[in-house]
Amino acid sequence: MGTLTGTGILARHILRRDRLILPLWGFLSAVYPMSIANSTVALYPTADLLRPVAQEAMANPAQLATRGVVFDAGAGGMTAWTVGSSGAMLMGLVSMLLVIRHTRVDEESGRSELIGSGVVGRQAPPAAALGVVCSVNLLIGALMSVLLMGTGLPAAGSLALGLALAAAGCTFAAVGAVAAQVTESAVSARGLGVSVFIAFFLIRAVGDASGAHWLSWLSPLGWTLNVRPFAGERWWVAALLLAFIALLAVAAHMLSARRDLAAGLLPPRLGPAAAAPGLRSPLALAWRLHRGQVVAWTAGFAVAGLTLGGAVSGNLEGQLNSPQIMDMIARVGGEDARPADFFLNFLLSMLAWIVATSGMLSALRLRSEESAGRADLVLVTPVSRVRWALSHLVVALAGPALVLAALGVTAGLGYSLTSGDIGKLPQVLAGALAYLPAVWVMTGIAAALAGLLPRFAMAAWGIWVGFILIDVFGMLGQVNANLLEIIPFVHIPWVLLGQMSPAPLAVLTAVAAALTAAGVAGLRRRDLVA
Amino acid sequence: MTNAISVSGLVKTFGRTRALDGLDLTVGTGEVLGFLGPNGAGKSTTIRILLGLMRADSGKASLLGGDPWADATDLHRRLAYVPGDVTLWPTLSGGEVIDLLGRLRGGIDPQRRATLLERFELDPRKKGRAYSKGNRQKVALVAAFASDVELLILDEPTSGLDPLMEAVFRDSVAEEKARGRTVLLSSHILSEVEALCDRVSIIRAGRIVETGTLAELRHLTRTSVTAELAQTPDGLNGLPGVHDLSVVGNKVTCQVEPAHLDALFGRLTALGLRNVTAAPPTLEDLFMRHYRTAQPGGQRRNQVA
Ligand SMILES: Nc1ncnc2c1ncn2[C@@H]1O[C@H](COP(=O)(O)OP(=O)(O)OP(=O)(O)O)[C@@H](O)[C@H]1O
Ligand SMILES: [Mg+2]
Repeated sequence: MGTLTGTGILARHILRRDRLILPLWGFLSAVYPMSIANSTVALYPTADLLRPVAQEAMANPAQLATRGVVFDAGAGGMTAWTVGSSGAMLMGLVSMLLVIRHTRVDEESGRSELIGSGVVGRQAPPAAALGVVCSVNLLIGALMSVLLMGTGLPAAGSLALGLALAAAGCTFAAVGAVAAQVTESAVSARGLGVSVFIAFFLIRAVGDASGAHWLSWLSPLGWTLNVRPFAGERWWVAALLLAFIALLAVAAHMLSARRDLAAGLLPPRLGPAAAAPGLRSPLALAWRLHRGQVVAWTAGFAVAGLTLGGAVSGNLEGQLNSPQIMDMIARVGGEDARPADFFLNFLLSMLAWIVATSGMLSALRLRSEESAGRADLVLVTPVSRVRWALSHLVVALAGPALVLAALGVTAGLGYSLTSGDIGKLPQVLAGALAYLPAVWVMTGIAAALAGLLPRFAMAAWGIWVGFILIDVFGMLGQVNANLLEIIPFVHIPWVLLGQMSPAPLAVLTAVAAALTAAGVAGLRRRDLVA
Repeated sequence: MTNAISVSGLVKTFGRTRALDGLDLTVGTGEVLGFLGPNGAGKSTTIRILLGLMRADSGKASLLGGDPWADATDLHRRLAYVPGDVTLWPTLSGGEVIDLLGRLRGGIDPQRRATLLERFELDPRKKGRAYSKGNRQKVALVAAFASDVELLILDEPTSGLDPLMEAVFRDSVAEEKARGRTVLLSSHILSEVEALCDRVSIIRAGRIVETGTLAELRHLTRTSVTAELAQTPDGLNGLPGVHDLSVVGNKVTCQVEPAHLDALFGRLTALGLRNVTAAPPTLEDLFMRHYRTAQPGGQRRNQVA
């Protein structure tokens, strides 16, 4: 029996299982560029109207970081610029999660052991998953191109944009396939895959925003944009992407041949036969459960901080002397605010949203421990519910503090080293830690939901996304100022621009404490449910 | 004898489901009580209320002389629990879980821990995610048996154990009983219940329908009788205490309540017995009847007596 036997059967199985999600995702992805193209033409019917938009975008580091460089100020170029980065995220992340779903998740739930014992080769599941997801990406890309041509945009650019986004999808599908092979569980496969995505995104964001464009070339998300649809297409960059995808696919294929079903590439190590003397309290258990996450996040943000701090101070000063951007900086930070300070604080404000998820993850552990039944094991010992809840919440509150501190110190260090002004470090650290109360509020929301409305605990993520949306539209001035007030992050002073206002910090901390207390009180009173 | 567990009139509803509907249950100190009933009857719900993981809507429950909800933390020092579907922390080894749970309960006897690990043939170095279903059960069983407690609450603890380990489990429970510990054992395995339990309580739709020693329960059950007669029988219809009567030619089969065996055999003898078998009720018969019938058990008991 060949190791790829049965790939076709599996592929059909995948198509059947995902018969709802694939068309839905494909349709949304394919229509997205077309709708942006239509509205671009409708809003800015002439090139003269578009040019200032492009100029402003090129001068704004936040735009450069999120969307990259504008290669052409025409309707096609602006469409490609608008959808390039977000489209790659939409295609890439969904593709990656789909591949992991049909390899790691299946394997973990034991389903593919059935398959493995039947008429299906051991390398068939990753091949089928990758094959299906990449084919769907190509279909989406083709449909995208046709729809773009339908709006009257040039054929070459339409094709290039469709191809670039399909390639982004396939790249992260392949990243997912590799991640599924080297990790031992679906959770860690997803964690690894998403981390790789974030790393590639940050590398490109920093490269584009700081003008160190060579950095963008280290990331496939930079390559996607550098296919330059509607701006003198560079087809060889697409070829580069294809080569990278092929490389990853071969790697996944070879890895899957070399390991046992359900095992990671590294054999699961045996643990200790007896517990360390310290493992004797709920807090010790909570720390044990969360410490991997806390350490990984701290290390990750330390690296990010060092890179970002250095890049901002090194390359930015010269980039930002457009009048619009200086205007905006002056509005926020006063006449003598430095653009680099502004940009670094802007990055801190963005990263704080991500740090918040680490606290939320830890707080939601209360719920996942409960629904898995592991909470029962602890709560039928003489450990009260309050003590158990606090053990996780202490980590959920202290973890992000550690992450923000690491980010502040390293960003300050990077910034100081490049600028030669070591005195900046404490200010950058304070600027990062200022976000802690807002992060705590998000942790508190998760804790309150887990305690009071356990079945809706995951709504915490909905609130997080909702806040981000309000914040984004708020920046564009499209949100009622009162609504904007509900977002904890907007109340945080920008310390690097000299803002000092302890009052909101105190209020936010009190709100976080109240939410956390409400969660614990709820948990004390209710039934534990699976 | 004081009661380790006594419950009366317990009611618990989940939305429209009435999971417990006036449940009464007692477990004497030092007794092993088998807690049986069909799926969804309310066994786990009862146990979760006793463990203070859930609160009853109404009714009284006392556990080791305390209130399972209000005094939960203190009571938990004196009991251990094994659920039917143990989930472990994926990154903790089995040995770590056993030690941690033991320490949370106030200490673990290393000698006993070692003995149990050996008996259950459990490798304590494997990580939670690497254990099979049966081995996860074993981790919780070792943790429970190794701790020095008065009461063991076991909710289908042997699901997933192979027959060899099932035997080890039985030995361990017997040992616990010999040391004077109280055991509440919910189970679907009749032979296990028969081997271990002093008394059984059968729950159906949230109520106890039968309680007693196995001998007592057997007594309440019909004997099945098959007889070949010298002539085609008539007049057997309508005999009190005779059920499921079927007559084919000279052959009669039926189910008889113990109190009416005399009368039936009187009639059969009069008709000329050629061959007869009377099978005592098997445990299966006993439970099948309780699991299936809709009739509350209390009434039947009165009829029979
Ligand atoms: N958290 C819950 N929410 C809603 N309904 C529940 C919940 N827990 C139990 N039930 C319902 O209560 C009833 C009793 O369930 P329980 O788990 O106590 O049964 P059981 O006797 O343990 O069954 P089994 O033998 O299958 O373990 C069932 O109808 C079940 O569906
Ligand atoms: Mg149950």
